[in-house]
Amino acid sequence: MIRDLAFIDLLYLVAAMRWTVALTAIAFTGGTLVGLSIALLRVSPIGPLRWLGALYVHAVQGTPLLAWLFVFFFGLSIVGITVSPWIAAAAAYSIYAGAFLGEIWRGCLQSISRTQWEAGASLGLSFVEQLRYVIVPQAVRVAIPPTVGFLVQLIKNTSLAAVIGFVELTREGQLTTATTFRPFTVYLLVAALYFTLCFPLTTWSRRLEGRLHVAR
Amino acid sequence: MSLVRLHNVVKRYGTLTVLDGVSLSVEKGEIIAIIGRSGSGKSTLLRCVNGLEPIQGGRVDFAGTVVNDPGTDLRKLRQHVGIVFQSFNLFPHLSVERNITLAPTVVKRMDRNAARDLARAVLRKVGLEEKIDAYPDQLSGGQQQRVAIARSLAMSPQLMLFDEITSALDPELVGEVLKVLEEMARDGMTMMLVTHEMGFARKVASRVVFMHQGKAWEQGPAAETLARPVTPELETFLSAVLH
Repeated sequence: MIRDLAFIDLLYLVAAMRWTVALTAIAFTGGTLVGLSIALLRVSPIGPLRWLGALYVHAVQGTPLLAWLFVFFFGLSIVGITVSPWIAAAAAYSIYAGAFLGEIWRGCLQSISRTQWEAGASLGLSFVEQLRYVIVPQAVRVAIPPTVGFLVQLIKNTSLAAVIGFVELTREGQLTTATTFRPFTVYLLVAALYFTLCFPLTTWSRRLEGRLHVAR
Repeated sequence: MSLVRLHNVVKRYGTLTVLDGVSLSVEKGEIIAIIGRSGSGKSTLLRCVNGLEPIQGGRVDFAGTVVNDPGTDLRKLRQHVGIVFQSFNLFPHLSVERNITLAPTVVKRMDRNAARDLARAVLRKVGLEEKIDAYPDQLSGGQQQRVAIARSLAMSPQLMLFDEITSALDPELVGEVLKVLEEMARDGMTMMLVTHEMGFARKVASRVVFMHQGKAWEQGPAAETLARPVTPELETFLSAVLH
């Protein structure tokens, strides 16, 4: 039944945003854990560990996120393992975000000059101590813009979780369109709501970057 | 027993042989100036002593430890062998104090207050006590290099390696760094320094080693060797750098 677009629809959209935010939080947390491990593997002095990290990144970057969602939600249930949509989403998004964040952070770690590692090593610091006290603090500043850039992508990519049943912002927009038949207005609203999530992040990123630069 | 002993050290990068059987001993308290053309293996030789460069043949001993033995704890070794680089390599995100206290607090587990006193003491030696709270990018090249020396001194090493430490400096800043080295020499520090400052080598070094084609081509007491080179290669090199 087609009805008119009402104020309540906007409230529904705003309410659906909480799933977008929750999915993003899960994806970013999981992605951070996986990504840190991958970045460390990729700069490790041990060859086989570096290859393992590279293999992971290539495998995940070469496959669609949608496929991972399907594998974890529908795939596992075919072999008899029932997974809740939350677990499936957390796993798929962590794998996906981990590969991209890992690669971003590897680049940031490697942007710090070889001579900084050498200076640390020459003072008797271990590999982990060189990372912790010398390399990471310098790499963090470099990492902020691309990391926030990816986070913004991630917010928008949470819409893919609709395929396994999440009624997040985009899916709610679809549903609203179906009942009101006002796609133009509804999707403009959806876009505006995404903007209210993403824009503050990029602004904050720029400010943080400036502050860290001064504190250096 | 010699503090440092290099025996027939061979270093290759792929097919390029950088060190071709170098043997050299350094006694405690000696100051060795390593000279030679660029590409003759001077810096590589120095970096083999603290294990920054793995070697393909021969052996490097430091105070009874075989540096090139895979079982050697290089972290331990490097606490006793300081190195100062051409490009300073200070940590840009840390204050002068933290640059100096990082290794003592992390590696030697010294407490922060004792470490700050130590930082003051080593900065006094290089004449920069008032810069303790500055950041590296607020210092001139000469000052940065002196902080780098202080940072190494804070670990109280038994041997100091200097890799062309004045080459990246403006000419008017070279003097202040060399003065610090002279004081360290007076204090009896054992030093190996790769340098292009022939006047300094003559004045301060106890021995000069001339590197040529990956070999320790000629060596001897500094003043004598520089004044009366035996090999034509050293003679050619000296006449090229001195004129």
